[in-house]
This record gives sequence, structure tokens and C-alpha cells, in this order.
Amino acid sequence: MFNIEVTGEFVAFFVFAVIIISGAVLMVSFTKVVHMVISLAAVFLGLAGMFVLLEAEFVAFVQVLIYAGAVSILMVFGIMMTKHQAMQDEPKRPVHEALSAIAALCLFGILFYAIRITELSVPEQFQAGEDNTMEIGKLLYTGYVIPFELVSVLLTVAFIGAIVIAKKEAD
Amino acid sequence: MGDLLLEQLTWGNALIFFLSAVVLLMIVLGFVTYAIYFERKVIGWMQLRIGPNRVGPFGLLQTVADILKLLLKEDTIPRKADRALFILAPVLAYVPAFAVLAVIPYTDSLYFADLNVGLLYYVALSGITTLAIVLGGWASNNKYALLGGMRSAAQMISYEVPLVISIVGVVMLSGSLNLRTIVAEQGNWFWEWNFLPQIIGFVVFVIAAVSELNRTPFDLPEAESELVAGYHVEYSGFRFAFFMLTEYVYVYAIAALTTILFLGGWHAPAPFLDFVPGLLWFMLKFACIVFFLFWLRATFPRVRVDQLMGFGWKVLLPLAILNVFVTAAYIEFFIKR
Repeated sequence: MFNIEVTGEFVAFFVFAVIIISGAVLMVSFTKVVHMVISLAAVFLGLAGMFVLLEAEFVAFVQVLIYAGAVSILMVFGIMMTKHQAMQDEPKRPVHEALSAIAALCLFGILFYAIRITELSVPEQFQAGEDNTMEIGKLLYTGYVIPFELVSVLLTVAFIGAIVIAKKEAD
Repeated sequence: MGDLLLEQLTWGNALIFFLSAVVLLMIVLGFVTYAIYFERKVIGWMQLRIGPNRVGPFGLLQTVADILKLLLKEDTIPRKADRALFILAPVLAYVPAFAVLAVIPYTDSLYFADLNVGLLYYVALSGITTLAIVLGGWASNNKYALLGGMRSAAQMISYEVPLVISIVGVVMLSGSLNLRTIVAEQGNWFWEWNFLPQIIGFVVFVIAAVSELNRTPFDLPEAESELVAGYHVEYSGFRFAFFMLTEYVYVYAIAALTTILFLGGWHAPAPFLDFVPGLLWFMLKFACIVFFLFWLRATFPRVRVDQLMGFGWKVLLPLAILNVFVTAAYIEFFIKR
């Protein structure tokens, strides 16, 4: 039935998948905001693990650096300023919840069916660059140099904008 | 170690990896025990005191006794604390601290992981510890702990930026993020090591690293005269020990990283000194940096929080960026491969 060879990669994939899925589920079901951020950080770490499995180490550790590190800390930092026992209480809406559950199940069914019937073309053996970090760098500065520069300008604009807004509020 | 990493993973190899991790853990624990003893002795001498000298010969067992005391202490969790996060925080702080040691190469043949983004791995994982410190401060439900956690987050985020940018110069010179390649690219004479060509980067790196370690003169997160003890006020027993352990393991990691990035790793300072094994040179440089950190602690006063932030953003960050530009210009005009 399952013609799958149990290899280290397979086991690692399942471990990361469990981390990602349980993190995502817990993120929705926790009531304290800080707990939500922690489960979100777990999802980010699991994703980084998936990138490592795909031999994209650079993306994996940038994921850890930016998302699991910086973004999570920023969110915790923001939340810490608010009320300590902040709970998210929602009124119970049984009909609404039942309908959402059915819709979610249907979506899962459609996706699962679509994935099962699709004939995936066997890709030619993917050649991960010897040093894929170097390859990413070269591509960024040759083929994609204009988008790259545009994004950096956009980030600078956003950065300056944030400072201007903060200054205005301080005055 | 290198050939072993490329072999098929069998149970035997997995056992070897596991055992070598355990050995590394033991070495690190031994380092931490005697680094604390050494620190207290050195600071004692610098301040005309004797330092620990009661437990064991020359006080050598003082730290062992302290750790035993910590482990035997009652483990208290404040009733109003966030129990789950309070327990999670020390673990989350320590795991990345130990995990970063995986990419440190000690000699040409002695290393644990040959990762092509080793430097990025180090920087990325050490950020997780900041998250743990903030969480520990928040979960304690104590105003001093919260203030310590906030300061820690602000400080570590501000200083991580110049720390990373100061390394960029080294990466540009060696053309790799792999720590082994970075060492191999540095020359055989001591003036060919990165600390002279990258003198600005080196100074910025050392200052930012001391700040990342939360050590004097940047130990604001645990400024005992203002915050009682900072983010770990409510921690006791082995949870507190874990936070202390994290701090000292990062001392180990940063000292090793500085050796690798700027002081030529296992290279001898001159080719005719090659008969001394590389591991000894590594340990010697490593020990000098550890001593330097203790020396700073004994002689510097603590900076104020506004000075700290201003210094990080207005002095170190522009200097680090300037270093990147100067290095780029230098490579463009003189080396240009």
C-alpha cells in the first residue's frame, strides 16, 4: 500500500511536518497571545527544517534569522507592553463553527483528490549547485539585480516612513 | 571527522555522532566550570582580592560546589507565573547555545559539521536565545524580570545588526560563509589574518559581541543595582543554572568564532612555528579572548541604557557599513578576481 522506503530523510520530513502542523493548530487554539507567538515560532523553525531537507540551507537559516528570530521577538516585544493576562475570548457560535468545519473538510477533500489524480511529471534530476549560496548571490546580482535594488529601495522607504511616523507621534 | 560525515548514515555512525556530541558537551561543561573559577580569580587579583581559595586546592572545586548547591536547591515557580513558558524558557535559551557549537572547526580535520552557511547558522540560532530571554522575563510576571527582558531584547536586536554587518567584510575577503574556508583563506603569517586587513570590522565585532553576551560594560539586562537580577530574578535552582550555563557557553562560542573569523583559527602566527599542533594555537587564541572578556569585566563600569542604544545605532552601525564599502573598494581596485 505505502511503497515508501523509510529513510532518515523520510523520518525527518515527518518530524518537521508534525512540528509545523501542530504548531499551526496550537497557534489557532491557544487563548494567550504570547503562547500563539511561540507556536508560530515553532512553525517557522519547522519550515526551516523543511528547507534544509530540500538542500536550501541559505533560505533555511535566513528563515530562522528573520522569522523565528526577529519577527517573533518583535511580536513578543509588542505584546509585552499590553495587558499581562490578555485572553482572547470569543462568543460561541456553534452553527458558524460547524459550517466552517464542513467547508474546511471539503477543501481538504478537493485538494487531496486533485493531488492524488494528478500525474506528476518526473522532473529531471535537480542539480543543487555545489555551493548554492554562491549561486543565489550571483543570480541576485546579475539576472535579478533590478528587482533586488527596487526591493532594497522599498525597504529603505518603509524604514524612513516608520521613523517619520514615530517622530510625529513623539512630538 | 570529515570523511565520516560523508558516509552513509548507519546505526554505528549515528552512535559515533551521538557520542562525539556528548564528549563536546562534557568539554563545554568543563570549560564553563573552570571559566567561572578563572573569572573569579582574575577579577579578584585585578581588584587586589584573593578570589575563591577555600574549596579544594586553590579553590579549584569552588564552582563544582556552587553547581551542586544550585542543583540541590528547591525548584520554585511563582504561583502567578506563566507556568509552561517559565519552564520552557531556560531550555529554549540553552539549546541554541549548544547547537551553534556544531559548526565551529577546531583544526583542519577536527570539526563537527561542514556547513556551507556556517556563519549564518551561528547568527540565526543565537537569535533564538534572545527570544527565550524575553519569554523568561515575561513569564516570571515580575516587573524587574520584565524590564530586564525588554532591555535584553532591545539590546540584542540593536547589536546583532552591527555584529552581522561587521562580519560581511570577512565574508567578502574569503568569498564563503563556510567557517572552515574562512580559516583556510587566511594566510600563514599573523599579519595576513583578518584582524589587520579588517581592523574596523574586528573592533566593531568585538564590541558588538561583548554586548551580545550581556557582559560588562553592556550587562544592562541583569544590572543588579537597578533590576535586582534582570530577566532571571524569579529563577532558582537548576533553571537558573541553565541561564548561567547559556551565558558561558556563548562566551565559549564567541571566543571560538572570533578566533576563526579574525585570528586565523588553527594557523600558527609564523610558518616556522608550524611544528606546534593547530589545536594548541586555536586553544591559545581562544584563551586570550576569554581572558580579554574577563579583563573587560574587571575594569569597565556599566554604560547607561540611552548611551548603549545611541552607541549601537549611531557609531557601530555606520562604522560597520563603512567597513563593507571600504572592503568592497579594496577588493575592486587591488584584488579583483
